[in-house]
Formats: sequence, C-alpha cells, structure tokens
Amino acid sequence: MKHTIDELLHGVNGLVTLPVVFVRINQLLENPNSSTEDIARAINLDPAFTVRLLGVANSTFYGFAATVDTAEKAVSIIGTRQIANLALSTAIASSFSKLPNKLVSMAHFWQHSLYCALAARKLARLCGIKEADALFTAGLLHDIGELVIFNRLPQEATEALLLVQGSADELAMYQAEQLTLGFDHAQVGAALARHWKLPPVLQDCISFHHEIHAAKQHPREVALVHIANILAQMAEIKTLDLADVGAVDPAAWELAGLAASDVVTQVVTEIQSEFVETEKLFFAKDTVS
Amino acid sequence: MALSPPPLRIPLPLPGFESVQRGWHNSFETIAARLLPGEYFVTLRDEAIYTTLGSCISACIRDRVSGIGGMNHFMLPISSSTNSWKASDSSASTRYGNFAMEHLINDILKNGGKRQNLEAKIFGGGRIIANMTDVGMRNIAFARDYLQTEGLQVASEDVGDAFPRLVVYYPASGRVRVKRLRSLHNNIIAEQETRYLSTIAEKPVSGEIELF
Repeated sequence: MKHTIDELLHGVNGLVTLPVVFVRINQLLENPNSSTEDIARAINLDPAFTVRLLGVANSTFYGFAATVDTAEKAVSIIGTRQIANLALSTAIASSFSKLPNKLVSMAHFWQHSLYCALAARKLARLCGIKEADALFTAGLLHDIGELVIFNRLPQEATEALLLVQGSADELAMYQAEQLTLGFDHAQVGAALARHWKLPPVLQDCISFHHEIHAAKQHPREVALVHIANILAQMAEIKTLDLADVGAVDPAAWELAGLAASDVVTQVVTEIQSEFVETEKLFFAKDTVS
Repeated sequence: MALSPPPLRIPLPLPGFESVQRGWHNSFETIAARLLPGEYFVTLRDEAIYTTLGSCISACIRDRVSGIGGMNHFMLPISSSTNSWKASDSSASTRYGNFAMEHLINDILKNGGKRQNLEAKIFGGGRIIANMTDVGMRNIAFARDYLQTEGLQVASEDVGDAFPRLVVYYPASGRVRVKRLRSLHNNIIAEQETRYLSTIAEKPVSGEIELF
C-alpha cells in the first residue's frame, strides 16, 4: 500500500507542535508596530526558554564580551530574527520527542543534526553570510522528515535501511526511501516546514539539501546545508577524508564560493571540538518547568 | 575508462560455500560474496568478499604469495559462566570464536595456502549501542589473542570506536576497503547481530576441529 505525504503529516499533527514562544516571536516580527520590548516580553513568558537563551547568549557560541543577563539585552545584541531561530532550535528536540522510533536513537539522530547545524553556521560565516544563525537552525532541522517517516512507516523505513546496507552503502538513504516509499525525508520535512510556515530559507534548506539544483530562492544557503550534511557525517565517523562519506555535489562548492581543500579539515575539526558544549546548551533537559 | 563487463556466468565457489550470497557487484566491478553474521568464505579467485559489522568482528586472512584467502564474520556468544575472551580458555564462548577462526584458516590451508605465508587483518568490534556492555571490545581482544597464539601477525586493523563498518576484502591482492557507517544504521545492525547471537547461544559448538 502506498502512503502519501499528506497522510503522514495528518498522522503527526498535534503530536509535533512548534514551540509557542517561536510562534509568538514570529507573529511579532510580522507586525510592523511591535517593538523589541514586545519581543522581550514574549520571551519572558517562557522561563525555560529564557534560561536557555541567556545560557546560549553568554556561551562561546556567541562569544560576546559583555554579560547578557536579561531577555531585553539578548534581543538587542543577538537580533530579533536570530532570537526566533534560537527559540526554534532550543525546543526542536522536545517538540519531536513525541515521535519515538526503534530505527534510530534520538541521541544519534540529534548528534548528526547538531554536527550539521554547527558546520552550516561555520560555513555561512566563512562565506560572509550575515544571518549565519539561520543556517544553524536549517542544519538542525534538515532531516526532521526522517523522524516522521521512522515513526509512522517503520516497515518501509526498515526496507530502505536494508537497501542501503545491501548496496554496500552505494545507495543514499533518500534514494532508498524513494524506492520503498515513493518519496523521501526531504519532501516530508519540506511539507512539515510549509505547514508550519517556517521562514522560506529554512523551507528551502530542508526541501533541497539532497538536490541543490532545485533550489531557486536560496541556492547558496541550500548549498551550505548540503555541504554541512556531508561534513557532519565526517565528524560522526571521525574522518578527514571526503572519500569516506557521501559525495558533495561540486556545484555546491561553486555556489558557496568555497574550496573543499580550504575548509573541510578546519570545519570538521572545529565542530568536533565544539560539539559537547553546544549539545549542553541546546539539548540539556530543562531545569525550569 | 573501459569497464570490464560482468561475466555471463558466475563461476562456482569452492565446495561448501554455495550458500553464501554471491554475484556480480556493479560498484566493486567484480564478483562479490556477501557475508552474513556467522558465515565465512574462502576463494582462490580474484573476487571480493564484503560484510557489514557492528560489534561483530571479521578476520581477513590470505596466503600473500598465492592469493588464496577469505573472511569470516562472528562474535563471541555471551557466556553466563565466564567473561573470558582468551583463545586458550575453553569456555563455551571462546570455543565458538576458535571455531570461526579455525574454519577460515583450515579452509585456506586445505585449498593450498601455506601457513608461513598467511597474513591477517581484523575489522569491526564497534560499540554501536550506548549503555550496553562493550561486547565489541571482547571480540577484538579475542581476535587479537587468537592470532597471536597462532603466531599470525596482524598486518592492519580498524577496530573499536562507536560506528559500524562496511568491509570489502580482495584476497587476491590483500586490499581492504573499510567504510565507517553513519549512526543511522546502528540500530538495524545491532538488531541483526542480536538475532545472530540468539542462534549461536542456543547451539553449543560440538565436534572436534581437524587441525592442519
């Protein structure tokens, strides 16, 4: 029996919800009359997020010289758009905790996502993109469709994983999914991102991280997430050799304006050393309820 | 680049290895045998043997002069009585490991390999499931100990750490390609190995092994 993406999304609706604070901040961002104070007030309504936000703002993730001790200060230093991204990033793991599955441990899933997030942000900075934090969020979310598939269609997902294994890892997971499901995790994630009305750049990165040629609006950001995905795999299996992992589309390097030989070793090494601290910042269990 | 076309007919394997899945493999551009947990394969031909390892271990052994060689894929059963891994111990679990190693070596020797020419490589033994006792480490320790006891040098290895591996071995040349796999595959490989473990735990190793 063939399933459709709509069916899948219908099945997870209500289980996976966007963090309320993210939704509020976004509403305020769309309203020309709202002020920085309004956004700070919205943040303060969510004590758990406020604690996390201040933790991130005072960490080496930003490396600000001054102490950031209030939501107001955080908004003015980090910027309103970036705060919205942070609200999404810090809550995404708990948003998806209601979609457990037996095929991949959440720890492994978020490990890959966080490596990708760190790599995407770093690449964005290297090529001078101002809102590099958006790339962090894009990296964190790029595979969310996978969690939906693994939870709703474990049988087909298992078949896909076995196909990849049987091919001696020549077939990529998204290609195997297309064979067993008729669609892949990028499409499922994209549908979810559309449903949530996430910013277009996030939608694009989730949709096209495996087929960068299809990205029309944000080709450069998509290319960076595509590269970051591969560098994240390198960090996971502890290699500095691009030949050990899936192929990077050469067009991605061109779009990014970066040369593999200049950045791969640096980015992979740095994200490995930043991983533990960032994981604490974004994935530690809430201490405030 | 000229690709050599796949042969019209796959030549038969050595007697005893008919049950191993084997066929033309496009990406390896050669005939390849695919080992499942518990299997082993020996060949005289220039072909590949490949397998996916989680906490299991594979020994790749060949006669470096004649090119006769093969690979196994096994793990030590969990023994309730002891936690030993030394090849010289005669617990039920190490007997199983000895069995897997001796089968491979004996079949290489039986088909013309010379003991003094043998070269060994070992792979696998990853810790792919968190919060579990490190069975991979036990398998590595056993394989190293076994080879040392047999006087075989380990020419190369890629063992341990937290990822599964795809291993492709070409006995004729001794070349090995190890691809470390993403954690996405950990659970499914662990499940396959658990199923294998339950089959060997139920079946005690019996019978003597003929040594050459």
